[in-house]
Amino acid sequence: MVYTKKSPALFIIGLVMLLWGWLNASGNIDGVQQYFQQSAYSDHMKVKEKFDAEFRVASEMAAAQSKPVPEMKMPKSKFDEAKAFQSKMCYIFGGVATLLGLLIMVWTPKEGNLDYYLSIFPGMAYILLIAFLVRWGLDPMFANWGKAAQPTLGWNFASIFNLNYVVLGIVIGIVIVNVFKIPAWAANGVRTARFFLKTGVILLGALYSATELAQLGAISVLMIGVFVLGSIGVVLYMGRRMNTGNSMTAVLASGVGVCGVSAAVAAAPVVNAKAAEIAYTIGTILVWGVGCMFLFPTVGHLLGMGPVQFGAWAGTGILNSAQVAGAALAFDPHGIETLKVAEIFNITRVLFLPIVVLWLATWYVKHEVGAEKVDLGKVLFAKFPVFVLGFILMFALSTMGAFTPSGHYQGKYFSSEQIKEDKLLKGKETKAIEGELARLKEPAGAKQLQDHFTEKAINIGQRHAMPEDAYKGLADLIANKKMSTREQETLLKAVGKMKGLDAVAANAIDKAGKAAYHSSKTIGAFRDWLAWLFSFGLIGLGMQITMAALKQAGGTPLIIGGVVGTAKAVGSLIVVLLFVKEFI
Amino acid sequence: MKTPLKLLLCHHGTAGARRAEELAHEIAVSGTTTLVHCLVVPEFWAGMQGDDWLNNASTRDAFGDYVENMLENDAKRELAAVASRCHERGLAYESVMRFGNPAETVLAIAGEIGADLVVIGSPRMKGEEGLNSRMELEKLVRGLKCPLLIAPHP
Repeated sequence: MVYTKKSPALFIIGLVMLLWGWLNASGNIDGVQQYFQQSAYSDHMKVKEKFDAEFRVASEMAAAQSKPVPEMKMPKSKFDEAKAFQSKMCYIFGGVATLLGLLIMVWTPKEGNLDYYLSIFPGMAYILLIAFLVRWGLDPMFANWGKAAQPTLGWNFASIFNLNYVVLGIVIGIVIVNVFKIPAWAANGVRTARFFLKTGVILLGALYSATELAQLGAISVLMIGVFVLGSIGVVLYMGRRMNTGNSMTAVLASGVGVCGVSAAVAAAPVVNAKAAEIAYTIGTILVWGVGCMFLFPTVGHLLGMGPVQFGAWAGTGILNSAQVAGAALAFDPHGIETLKVAEIFNITRVLFLPIVVLWLATWYVKHEVGAEKVDLGKVLFAKFPVFVLGFILMFALSTMGAFTPSGHYQGKYFSSEQIKEDKLLKGKETKAIEGELARLKEPAGAKQLQDHFTEKAINIGQRHAMPEDAYKGLADLIANKKMSTREQETLLKAVGKMKGLDAVAANAIDKAGKAAYHSSKTIGAFRDWLAWLFSFGLIGLGMQITMAALKQAGGTPLIIGGVVGTAKAVGSLIVVLLFVKEFI
Repeated sequence: MKTPLKLLLCHHGTAGARRAEELAHEIAVSGTTTLVHCLVVPEFWAGMQGDDWLNNASTRDAFGDYVENMLENDAKRELAAVASRCHERGLAYESVMRFGNPAETVLAIAGEIGADLVVIGSPRMKGEEGLNSRMELEKLVRGLKCPLLIAPHP
């Protein structure tokens, strides 16, 4: 079979990317970019003003000394960097796409490896083009519209409904597959989305500290254990009571209980699920998963949840694992903290999968007359998620210092020698913090601080944070001009996000935190690429959610799935709000 | 009404399809009519692995093979049952099994075999349990070049 479809599509996509890259590099679309990159452009204007002032002074001094006007180069602003990044991405990927597109146009594909691997590029370029469009166009556009409509509406609709690149990308994927259909030339490449999501999760392994992993792992095993096993038990009970049939009950239990479609796919052949039962189960799970992906981030923001709380909730409460990453990134699109927490829960879930499939297979054989016994060892081996080993390997490499100075995560940079002089807080910054410290010690300030800690569920060790903790932390920061402990940084990070705090003081706290963490360039690059990998993967997964599959949700499976799914979402929310701390 | 030479019966095992089969048997004339049984496996099955990304490729392949075999066996069982009932009545029987959009596939098959009459069951009543893959009647009516007979709801 020949997989590569002869089409100029890849070549055209490549040219479009190259054109966008050139337009950015040449400055021809600066006007458009000013609209899209408003914050970066405001930084650009500040840099320019500062540079103009310095240049004027230098010119005047040179004139006074009868010297030639000095040559000065304006430093790069965030706006310049954003445009340069877009150009670079477009030149690299556009160049590759154009060359491969030409090859597809002139070459007559024959069966073989070249044909097979070449066939995936048009679809990959298609998703990447959509990712560019969403991240560089639609995401900032909706953010601008949200801000513009805020004075009229009284709320920011883009922020409340999480209309960021993650949600928009998935929605575009869903629209494409259901309205326009995936073009034949892109079909093979779209399937690579799974590979990129797995790669994203594997790379994510490099971003955990041993402490984080141990703490998150313990919480996730506890929560996932209770909710997975609990919901499977409830589905098995309800299924028997409602006479849904053993195979239907078993496949529904795996899907609703563990990780959604993936679990249903893994369990269906083992419990001899019938065609209609598979359709009902997958339809039910997809409807719930997609619904939760849109609902969870909004609820999370309304409840003022932090990354750990939201990640734990999404990782436990969302039925389908594919939508966990989507919800986590929708909640926190410009950070990776929520995703990190959510994916630990996802991985814990998937580690439960082989055990749950075994359980259900045994349950099915016990209850179904004439059911054939399954080879338990074979099932356990076949269902083990191999990619988790990659995640563990990345974590091990990172912990051993392969990507970042060893001891980085243990707070090495909190010790005085490791922070360079220029990273210490300056006089005006400590003065601003002193001013805020005095204000927060007043009764009104103390109350504001206390309310903020309560709302955000900030803890120090095993107890709730008090205003006195913040006073001590701020006083230490003023005295040392840097963060001294991880606890201090965690606490003051929360203080820095408090509404009404002086901007200079807030920036100073943020600066001190960043100096203490001192992320390595490799890790920074990982973070950026991870966001792209997940963005790519989620658009591709959106393209695999068909309305025809969603429409199969119905009947008793929908009732059972609805009851258990709601109980799981609400139950895990309550547990998270009561017991999971804001910061790990 | 003229006796149809090629009667296209759309049948996929539901109660409505059984009613359509009974109606087709009433109309068909032994020795004159060839009953062509059209069984469409709905295209939504192609998306039934949905957004599974956690599983290994081997698990997905096992699932794909399992579903494919199951659908094929279900379809073969259905074809054999309809064929046997046709033979009991002395009707000539042919079958076509396709994967795709039901209305589009029926239109294509009707054109290919030169059907004189197409017989289908009535749409399932709302709330009745069953897979959600309805025949787009408007598309079918607009595209057919021969009469369409819809059996009343059983």
